[in-house]
Amino acid sequence: MKRRWFATPYALWMLIFTIVPLLFVVYFAFTTRDGAFTVENFGKFFRPGNLPVVFDSFRLAFFCTAICLLLGYPAAYFLASRDFSRGRAIVVLILLPMWMNFLLRTYAMMTLLERNGVINTLLEALGLPPQSLIGTEGAVLLGMVYNYLPFMILPIYTVLKKMDHRVIEAAEDLGAPPMKVFSRVVIPLSVPGVVSGITMVFMPAVTTFAISRMLGSGMIYLIGDTIEDYFINFSNRNVGSALSLVLMVLIVISIGLLRKADPKGEGGALW
Amino acid sequence: MYDEQRLIELRGVSKSFGDTQVLHNIDLYIRKREFVTLLGPSGCGKTTMLRIIGGFEMPTEGSVLFEDKDITDVPPYRRRVNTVFQKYALFSHLNVFDNIAFGLKLRKLPKAEIKERVDRMLRLVKMEGYEKRSVESLSGGQQQRIAIARALVNEPEVLLLDEPLGALDLKLRQEMQLELKSMQQELGITFLYVTHDQEEALTMSDTIVVMKGGRIQQIGDPKRIYDEPKNAFVADFIGQSNLLTGVMLADELVMMAGKEFPCVDEGFEKNEVVDVVVRPEDIMVVGTDVGMLEGVVESVLFKGVHYEMMVATGETRWKVHSTTMQPVGSRVGLSIVPFNIHIMRREAVAIPAEGGGQV
Amino acid sequence: MVTSVARRAPRRRAHRLKLTYIIVLLVFLYLPILVMIGLSFNASESRAQWTGFTLDWYGRLFNDSRIMSALQVTISVAVMATVISTVIGTLAAIGMHSMKQGWSNLLTNVAYLPMTTPDIVTGVSLMLMFVFVQWPLSKWTMLCAHVAFDTPYVLFSVLPRLRQMNPNLYEAALDLGCKPTRALFKVILPEIMPGVITGSLLAFTMSLDDFVISYFTSNTDQNLSMIVYSAAKLGVEPTMYALSTLMFLVILALLLIINRRSKLEEI
Repeated sequence: MKRRWFATPYALWMLIFTIVPLLFVVYFAFTTRDGAFTVENFGKFFRPGNLPVVFDSFRLAFFCTAICLLLGYPAAYFLASRDFSRGRAIVVLILLPMWMNFLLRTYAMMTLLERNGVINTLLEALGLPPQSLIGTEGAVLLGMVYNYLPFMILPIYTVLKKMDHRVIEAAEDLGAPPMKVFSRVVIPLSVPGVVSGITMVFMPAVTTFAISRMLGSGMIYLIGDTIEDYFINFSNRNVGSALSLVLMVLIVISIGLLRKADPKGEGGALW
Repeated sequence: MYDEQRLIELRGVSKSFGDTQVLHNIDLYIRKREFVTLLGPSGCGKTTMLRIIGGFEMPTEGSVLFEDKDITDVPPYRRRVNTVFQKYALFSHLNVFDNIAFGLKLRKLPKAEIKERVDRMLRLVKMEGYEKRSVESLSGGQQQRIAIARALVNEPEVLLLDEPLGALDLKLRQEMQLELKSMQQELGITFLYVTHDQEEALTMSDTIVVMKGGRIQQIGDPKRIYDEPKNAFVADFIGQSNLLTGVMLADELVMMAGKEFPCVDEGFEKNEVVDVVVRPEDIMVVGTDVGMLEGVVESVLFKGVHYEMMVATGETRWKVHSTTMQPVGSRVGLSIVPFNIHIMRREAVAIPAEGGGQV
Repeated sequence: MVTSVARRAPRRRAHRLKLTYIIVLLVFLYLPILVMIGLSFNASESRAQWTGFTLDWYGRLFNDSRIMSALQVTISVAVMATVISTVIGTLAAIGMHSMKQGWSNLLTNVAYLPMTTPDIVTGVSLMLMFVFVQWPLSKWTMLCAHVAFDTPYVLFSVLPRLRQMNPNLYEAALDLGCKPTRALFKVILPEIMPGVITGSLLAFTMSLDDFVISYFTSNTDQNLSMIVYSAAKLGVEPTMYALSTLMFLVILALLLIINRRSKLEEI
């Protein structure tokens, strides 16, 4: 037996349990409950009532990505700097949460923000009025940032860490003071990491449903929640599929645009 | 007493990384328009010295002077010095033109002037027409040229070169050696060149600074360094040599390999033990009847222009270069003229306190 | 020297600033989790009053039949998914290594698919298919889904090992009279074993950790993440703290093992 056939079980498995299901999404998106061809499903979703949901999802995901970038870039930069050469433990510590179950992390956030949660109880103990923290857009945004921040830090850190230190010295040598070195050399060279960080934060943020459910307590409703409802509660799989398809296309387009900034794909994904 | 000629001066510079001291109390000056090479094995501190002059490292002790002004704590971006880095360190996010224009753009020069100067540099390094290419698409030799152009375009007072040809193959390296030398003469810029390749140092330099273990061993022009090494280390590092232990019997008479040889050195103690260097090309192969020594050819290697032979005379084995071949096993006579016997004191050679002794 | 000290002082201050920033981030990332772990030992249900240490919530956890069966589902699915994905992933890596460039690129891109598709779409797509072919959504459908997203992790852990391997090694074994199958087990497998182990540990972690895909592909059987989610919809409850704490610790332990095996940057 030729060794190349060893890949057959894998190829079959991926075909049946990855590619075919995606084709089902396309099929259901363009059919009625009875299986007839239609484009109605897209129309049903894009009712005026639903559009704010799409808008809100992208807006929240955008803010989340921006905040993660603002918080994460300096962190990655500091961690990669030579002062932290022995700070590997810190790097591992910062990055570990990204492998932790996000439900647990969101649940922990809930504990803090809840109406009777840690923060409100502490406020009360200080004689301050309790705040309604949970169920706000702010809570959902906080939950997203909390969950996805390490996904921004890792790729940027990796790119910065691999950067040849002599390139930075070369810039100094050619007359660039520290801020110019940063803006003209460090930032441009870290673009691949930034692109991959944005992808890794934006994609889960725009599709999430659990975070908004748990921290939005029903007040914040995103695309992910809509899809969940169509499949689990309303059971209208055709409209749900149409929505999933639209979401996927939007994501593919945004990633495609982003990738233009990083044609060589140096940032890599998780791998 | 400031010497007009002294462009850069190191005074009592020492450098330690943690517990390891890599430079010991270095005194050195470099003159305007000079081509100075720091030569030594890896780990001798030559690159650290270059980095201190470039401003990338702070000396632990001592100071760096530029035209007699202390620049020890002036950051690299305010020094009138540019560097060609080991492995080039080009900006991969910029094309060839923008790499070279980097320093000029920082100085906010007018566009037309930037273009003109970049073009001139590209001509100088023979890379016209490559402006729009990405630096990653270039070969090692081409990248090297861009790195040189990027540094030279700023018209620095001093160009520091850190083993710039190390990554190139032999033929290209020799070509670049000549080109660098002619660029230096044409532009009249001071070059400070770091290498571990003694041939490179001998070919290009006006002055060679031989280093070992963070200390300067000898400073001098190539011929002086080659012909009159100050100690056994320099002699050994500079060329393939026969290094022997001898005893001075009297002025101009040394005993080595069990024989007495007339030489030209004086001023040693009677019976002082000395190091003796004889270069392989200075040993003449003669008939057994007229030789000062008689030995057996142990091996012969053809080296292109000459043969390299190992000749054993009793306990001693000599490396001999000769244009005529003697078969292995044959008996030959060896002869050395007094002038070619280099006698050196054994104790570590003291470096003159004022440093930077020129020839 | 005065000059060098003078220049180093601001650097040290900058370093302290950097360190402070990193520590603030660490507090932000870990405080909620640590608070939750602390509360799992709190006798009262209150979120801010410490009324004494207790293991009650852990006790309740182990007496809750729903949670115990979810634990069983989680572990059995994770173990089975790990075994299956390790076998087919390793085989695939070996196969792809001796394939023509074009085909192996195609299969590599297929492996990226589950990583680049949003989890919710992956989950929904599998659900659609399982419902269409009328497979009841159970831990078996969940298993199929887990194998599909686990295998790429194995594949991408093993492939680099194969690429690093000296290609002459296998040929040398054949040259020395080893039969191909035997050479595979005696020469190639030991070489790629570290990658296989890392890959399987990763797969195990991913499977234990998964929520979104499991949520859409299983109905009758719930895993622990699904329990946490449905409990969270009803509000916070200390038993869940205990459960979260345990899951957190198990995953932490697994991650530390994986990290020790391969540097995190390479993952």
